[in-house]
Amino acid sequence: MSVPALALRNLLRAPPPLRPLLLTPHASYHSHEHPDPDPYPPTESAILAAALPHVPNHGFTPTSLRLGATDAGYLDITTNLFPSPAFALVTYHLTTQRLALASRVQFPAEEPAANPRDRLRTLILTRLRGNLEHPNILPRWPEALALMSLAENIPASLRELAFLSDEMLFLAGDTSVDSSWYSKRASLAAVYAAAEVFQSSGSGEREVEGFVERRLEERGRVGGFVSGVGEWVGGEARGVLDLARSLGWRV
Amino acid sequence: MASASFLPRAPTFASPSLPLKSRLTPRAFQLRARHAPPMHSRTLISSAAPPSTEPKPDSLHRPQGARQKPLSAEQKRFLDSALRVNHAGELAATLIYTAQSPPINKAYPHLRPLMKHMYDQEAGHFQYFNGILAKHRIRPTAMYPAWYAAASLLGWSTGVMGREAAMACTEAVETEIGEHYNGQVRELLAWFKDIEDRGEEIGEELRTMVIEIRKIRDEELEHLDHAVENDAKEANPYELLTGVIRWGCRGAIAISEKV
Repeated sequence: MSVPALALRNLLRAPPPLRPLLLTPHASYHSHEHPDPDPYPPTESAILAAALPHVPNHGFTPTSLRLGATDAGYLDITTNLFPSPAFALVTYHLTTQRLALASRVQFPAEEPAANPRDRLRTLILTRLRGNLEHPNILPRWPEALALMSLAENIPASLRELAFLSDEMLFLAGDTSVDSSWYSKRASLAAVYAAAEVFQSSGSGEREVEGFVERRLEERGRVGGFVSGVGEWVGGEARGVLDLARSLGWRV
Repeated sequence: MASASFLPRAPTFASPSLPLKSRLTPRAFQLRARHAPPMHSRTLISSAAPPSTEPKPDSLHRPQGARQKPLSAEQKRFLDSALRVNHAGELAATLIYTAQSPPINKAYPHLRPLMKHMYDQEAGHFQYFNGILAKHRIRPTAMYPAWYAAASLLGWSTGVMGREAAMACTEAVETEIGEHYNGQVRELLAWFKDIEDRGEEIGEELRTMVIEIRKIRDEELEHLDHAVENDAKEANPYELLTGVIRWGCRGAIAISEKV
């Protein structure tokens, strides 16, 4: 069977809530000679972009999407392009804010990254501010969090969080590609998720900054402890081996 | 007088491009499709053919302008898996040499320069792939700690077994890696030929990558030759040792492609 036929077969065999995950390209090779393709086709992109300003008034609901479709010059029925209209708005907001981070934050090019924790703090706060800027969807964010926690939406939400965490570490200049690649991204994702919930529970900017600072410091301490344990174990093992060799054992 | 022209003619149709009646029942078709050889289930290909039979596109040796068309999703997936596997392979190679060196150098001091030379080359390859993965935002294999432990154990155990076993281990690993790189280089050069035939540029990014991978492949094959020169074939359970190691490498490659 040809590749397109196999891809279609796999798509049709997957349960419907998981199909969007198979359609959106997963993280892969990023070429520096060409920018990555747009995540949304032009029609969907136009409708969602027009729908987002309606969210403060109508929330993350199909109503906002319908109003957006009419604003963009399409018929109401065009919202059938989206299998789950409310969640499509949420993922659109998440994706566009993530992709906008690169243009919003530019660090001076110095190597190595002078203070990765400061850079991560700047990135997290910039991203959180993205929830506040026009349109200010922050009052409606608890709706979005509720939508993201629905069982059928959890895989897509986790994937967006993983992409965001990867993007932030890339922009902060992290170039390590050993097993800490995974643990760094997981811990940063946890910090960001906690900060977003904190922000949406109605805290001021100062408090959010303090919260992020404390979480990043904890993350640093835990990460340092774990890698310290790893180094200690490795060092002990090497010491035992060297001792055996110095005793003449053919080890 | 009855004439054939009075009788209505049977309507004539152009012969259809598909058979009007399929020879297979739907169930039979489904079963056949399910058992059809999956052509693209293995992303990576390995090739035992000698490097001299590779395609030789001219564009490999000319500095390139910007590539017109972006890579397709299929190509990006291939590069993603391929570079991840290469990175894991070089990690394993450096660890094998690190673990083999102390027992081998102690028992055979004259092999010290050779072991150091091979280790230095592998370390260079590893640094190269570290840079490539970071630059192109490719994730490393999640089995990193597992491969770390496995490669260290393999290197230590073959080092302790003796010089011939250590060289046999090197021979087995380098044979698998050499075939693996061969397959990758062939695939990439096939892309280049394709792009060249369309009259487009391949881009500096891909060109330098292929040149570097070819150089790495040549160095791995050189290690293979060194291992054979140093009595790899004299190892006592030669077939068993090399068989187990080669199958282990293939399994690790298959896992690292996906995980």
